[in-house]
Amino acid sequence: MHEYSLASAIINQVKQIVKEYNAVKVNKIIVSADPYEMIIPDLLQDAYKIITDELEIFRDSQLELLKLPAEITCIDCDYKGEPAEEGDKEFAYNFKCPKCGSRDTHINIRHLTIESVDLEIPE
Amino acid sequence: MTQEKKVTVKKPAYIENDKLADEIRDLMKRKNKLYFNIMGSIGAGKTLLLERIAEKLAPLYKVFVINGDVATTIDADRIAKRGADTVQINTGGGCHLNAKLIKNELDKINIDDYDIFFAENVGNLICPSAWDVGAQKNIVVVSITEGEYVIKKHPIIFKGAQIAVINKCDLDGMGFNSETLVEDAKKIKSGMEIICTSAKESTGINEFIAALGIKI
Repeated sequence: MHEYSLASAIINQVKQIVKEYNAVKVNKIIVSADPYEMIIPDLLQDAYKIITDELEIFRDSQLELLKLPAEITCIDCDYKGEPAEEGDKEFAYNFKCPKCGSRDTHINIRHLTIESVDLEIPE
Repeated sequence: MTQEKKVTVKKPAYIENDKLADEIRDLMKRKNKLYFNIMGSIGAGKTLLLERIAEKLAPLYKVFVINGDVATTIDADRIAKRGADTVQINTGGGCHLNAKLIKNELDKINIDDYDIFFAENVGNLICPSAWDVGAQKNIVVVSITEGEYVIKKHPIIFKGAQIAVINKCDLDGMGFNSETLVEDAKKIKSGMEIICTSAKESTGINEFIAALGIKI
């Protein structure tokens, strides 16, 4: 359900970029997110379409979602980076540290990020 | 004539919300106020816990509670009867509070009139976890009637919390079990404080207040 809020947040930020560049059209927006954003890609696309259908400059633009790997900090050895494997059988997000094997790891959440925007601007 | 231009952005989509949330956190810190975000499922007992807390705090502190719900003012009305000032945000279809909704309400009051602030988020264990409301501590309330797997099934919200409250512990042993939830809460995030309460029986409330860092 929070996909609608996310789509709105993306569009609101891109609106500012459109203004800044005096753009006449948005062709494509690339966003990235790690697994913890819990985004359902289809719902994000649906929400994006519902909102942009009402916006001339955004109409028919594409939203591309890049999926980033997980990133952790190990509480036991301070390792920072990608986990050794997906969460354990019991706990989906209790990732294993590749350095010391501990599962006492915190997630470094990398929130949904707008990577780039393809615009059409006056020559 | 137009030309194509690729603009590199590399900015979080939440940037506006997070900026506002940081502003709220800084403001509260500067003014020496406490502000907590209470999250949890529908029916976990968030409102009754806040009623119990309001009863205990009202003689000593001025408390302001911001309630988030899709509709009605039931929660704000209930807590207001316990000595706190309250305001209800109706989100319509929205499944979480955000920094802007909180800021809008804070702008309507004089923050200096209060000591402690609570936001009672919309009942949901998924969406509120992604939206910073500017609180100093995030608290997740789960009740033992939600089933023994509720923490395992919703890990992210606990990863971002400083306190887990296991509520409805008066039903422990009556077909429900708090032990599994306490164990899961310990495993999901080290260092997270875990408090067992029964808002109905008013047990564990003092421990919860102490975990919030409030002296009574």
